[in-house]
Amino acid sequence: MIRLRLSSSRVLNSLVVLALICVVWELVVDLLSIPQYILPAPTSIISTTIKYYNYLLRNLLDTSIHALVGLALAATFSLAISLPLAYSEAVRDAVYPLITGFNAIPRAALVPLLALWFGLGSMPKILTAFLIAFFPVLVPTLTAMVTIEKELWELLRSFGATKTQILIKVGIPRAMPYFLSSLHMGLTSSFVGTVIAEMVASDSGLGYVILSSTSRLDTALAFSCLILLALITFVLSKVLSVVERRVVGWAYRVST
Amino acid sequence: MEPLVRLHGITVRYDGRRNGGLVAITDVDLDIYQGEVVGIVGKSGSGKTTLLKVLAGLIRPVKGEVVFNNHKLNGNSFRVGVLFQSPLLLPWRTVIKNVLLPIEILGEDVSKYLSRALELIEKVGLKGFENSYPWELSGGMQQRVALCRALIHKPSLLLLDEPFSSLDAITREEMWMLLQDVISHEGCTTVLVTHDVREAVLLCDRVVVIGGKPGRVRAEVRVDFKRPRDLKLQYTKEFNDYVVMVRGLLGD
Repeated sequence: MIRLRLSSSRVLNSLVVLALICVVWELVVDLLSIPQYILPAPTSIISTTIKYYNYLLRNLLDTSIHALVGLALAATFSLAISLPLAYSEAVRDAVYPLITGFNAIPRAALVPLLALWFGLGSMPKILTAFLIAFFPVLVPTLTAMVTIEKELWELLRSFGATKTQILIKVGIPRAMPYFLSSLHMGLTSSFVGTVIAEMVASDSGLGYVILSSTSRLDTALAFSCLILLALITFVLSKVLSVVERRVVGWAYRVST
Repeated sequence: MEPLVRLHGITVRYDGRRNGGLVAITDVDLDIYQGEVVGIVGKSGSGKTTLLKVLAGLIRPVKGEVVFNNHKLNGNSFRVGVLFQSPLLLPWRTVIKNVLLPIEILGEDVSKYLSRALELIEKVGLKGFENSYPWELSGGMQQRVALCRALIHKPSLLLLDEPFSSLDAITREEMWMLLQDVISHEGCTTVLVTHDVREAVLLCDRVVVIGGKPGRVRAEVRVDFKRPRDLKLQYTKEFNDYVVMVRGLLGD
């Protein structure tokens, strides 16, 4: 009850700050007579959002689905690849530098290639989201799996545990909080990836809407898209936090 | 009487890059008899933990042999229970699941060991905490859970590596008495590695002093106090005579 009260007062504080920012923003735009195509006023953004409500919602759904499929792929692939990498030092030594090297490539630069190979549509969006989200999920998961304390390792070996057993009984459960926490980073990355792909190789989604609206100098609509993107990632991140607390409550010392 | 475990001419060398070629112990002979509590005392770096790891099958000596029940061993092929200084409990497992971990690893039927696990937990005074998580327990309580885990699979040899050195003085004394009680109840052969001479004299039937670089067995002292031993024993002249003798054997 106390926690709920604290949390609702915190939300209220944030809303007050947000309202203040909007008031200052509105006044600055109004007093300095800034053209709407340079910086639209908050009231203008709100009226545009209401006006294009259906259109924005459809494209938001489009972006979200592609980003989440990309994230799901990144999460699955990260888990799947971290197992052999954690199991064998030789495999890790051979493969990990390649993955790190690949991570150095700006993924946005790959979108035209993806469009060339897979055409316009869903595939480049999902793959870009996947490619950007994969690395931030893999690194903490793998690190947690391979950094088991020496004494714990020896204790398990003294019981006769095999490497596979140590990975299953300790490595994977130990990595779960890191894996779930890295999904927050992965979530943001996957939305960034999808929006980039939509700007380069798509005719749908909020990325496409941002590109087309700015080319028509409809800046208010672009701002609507940005605010919706921020809102959706915020909400999904909160959902993820709830899942995290339920699944790996032990890591947060939460009795379940 | 034949020993349960015989170490003969054991030499261990670490070949790691950091301590390349470092000989930790050399020509160590040690007999451990069924039901006995053997203390291994020595200064830091004397090789006592290395010796314990040889017994646990975690280190293979470069020279010498480990004989168990008259059979020469190659690696870890008898059951050991190990208790380190840190409890090393898995935070995502409840007390009962931590205790049963060795059974899962050994691939045995966990349900068959459930009543034994509950009995051990009760024996160490943790009845009612079976479903608690490690972080909900104090350091001493966590070490008791670790002791149950070390015993659940009925090991032939219980190996304790400075198990109470991170506990406060009062909890340590409680743990001494608890350990004595549990060991006598389980009837298990025990090797206790410690740098606390008082702890070794109070708990062990025999104290083996290791010293030198590389470590060798310097002396063995048989402690002839009757069991069960009381904490008050520490304040007797006979006890202090043993402590002074073992401390003297450790050298400066």
